[in-house]
Amino acid sequence: MYIIVEDDPSVADALQSLLSGAGLSVRVFSTAEELIHSASLTSEDTMIVDLGLPGMSGGELVRHLEKAGANPKVIAISGKSSRTIARETEGLSDLKILRKPPAADWLEAITA
Amino acid sequence: MGELEDRRTAVSEARFESLLDTAADGVIVIDETGRMLVFNKICEQLFGYTSQEAIGQNVSLIMPPEFSLSHDRFMHNYHRTGEKRIIGIGREVSGMHRDGSVFPLELSVGEAKTAEGRQYIGVLRDLRSRRAVEQRVSQLQAQVVHMTRLSAMDEMGAAMAHELNQPLTALLLYLQAVARQIKSCHADGKPPSDKMLEVLDKAVQEAERASHIVQRMRQMVEKRDPERATIDLREVVNEALDLSEFVAQGATVTIRRVFGMTPIHVDADATQIQQIILNLLRNALEVAKESEERWVKVSIGSDDRSAFVSVTDSGLGFSEDTGKSLFKTFSTTKKSGMGLGLAISRAIAQNHGGDLMADPGGNGQGATFTLMLPMHRPDEAEDDTWG
Repeated sequence: MYIIVEDDPSVADALQSLLSGAGLSVRVFSTAEELIHSASLTSEDTMIVDLGLPGMSGGELVRHLEKAGANPKVIAISGKSSRTIARETEGLSDLKILRKPPAADWLEAITA
Repeated sequence: MGELEDRRTAVSEARFESLLDTAADGVIVIDETGRMLVFNKICEQLFGYTSQEAIGQNVSLIMPPEFSLSHDRFMHNYHRTGEKRIIGIGREVSGMHRDGSVFPLELSVGEAKTAEGRQYIGVLRDLRSRRAVEQRVSQLQAQVVHMTRLSAMDEMGAAMAHELNQPLTALLLYLQAVARQIKSCHADGKPPSDKMLEVLDKAVQEAERASHIVQRMRQMVEKRDPERATIDLREVVNEALDLSEFVAQGATVTIRRVFGMTPIHVDADATQIQQIILNLLRNALEVAKESEERWVKVSIGSDDRSAFVSVTDSGLGFSEDTGKSLFKTFSTTKKSGMGLGLAISRAIAQNHGGDLMADPGGNGQGATFTLMLPMHRPDEAEDDTWG
């Protein structure tokens, strides 16, 4: 299962189109809180999370899931500067980062 | 005159001398012909002459030439008409040191009628320190204004980058999705589905969202029609340079001004033009600061159709690659800023019917940026011929 956590509706929808078009099953959440309330993730899942979420940030969500023992594969997306990204993901183990706007094919990067 | 009287006179004169020498202000006494009779210690410091050297000389010795010529005339007029121009009124004048340097002074003059005719007592106060404070305050103000302008540009740039990010991300992902669909349909020998058209529609919408953001920014630059007035380009540029002298990295960079004697009239918004000049100057100063000779030259010229302001630095010029992206938004070789300065400056220039051009220099030549503006053309209405 691919879980998208992204507050910009267009970006979320486009990402969903790309993944479901490739035959993958996708769920979309617009906030971290929403995801925590209504889904539990396993190591089978891949979570694509925007770092700059309103409320609980993407980085905090990843830390929260780690604490809760859920360990999905995490791909962080962000439109911020590399320095900001480094700060926001400090101390997080092995997560892939994709920067907005996309410079390459995201489906390949996500499913790799 | 008795011996006692002589002694008294000597004592009072000695007192007078010591009083003068402890005065905090410069004191000069001149006679009707302008000859100096008293020149106290403070004056020695102010003007670099000893009192022996000064006494007996015409007071024009310590004035800049352009004033010394008229001083005798002023005195003559006063003696003839009695019209007071300065007596009893303090005013700001210029004094000249022995080494030729000119500085501001506050001068108040009193008059005394003596047995030897009229004498004038001038009290002088050095205004340099006060002037320096005033100048520094105005420079700081200018710097603050300048910085806020630039950081406003940078903030706008950062905000734009952030805003454009989302629609561009969505747009590219939609296009990636469609491209994949088409490829897989091709492979299966199926016609493209309606779903693809939907996704393409969405892609178009995102592209529009992005272009609206760009249009909004363009409106910010072109928001108001510039408040055009006929201005003398020399004055406007001079003012901008004065404002930024302070930013000239602690004056380690010399700003050379090459202006003609005749006014150069253009129809422009003075503030916006100064914004461009400040921007070019700031870039040039950054380069010049790191160069060997450390100067920036600002020259103004014109032909019958256009006026030009060129800013050249003492650096080594820039590469062809840099030149390609110079006027693009968000391209900057600097660590700070989004590189909006030149793009916006060019937009302002073009808005005035002019342009902003860059000459890369190289081969020991620094870069030159030239602002071109159309010359002012008198309308029929304000044609000043006698017709």
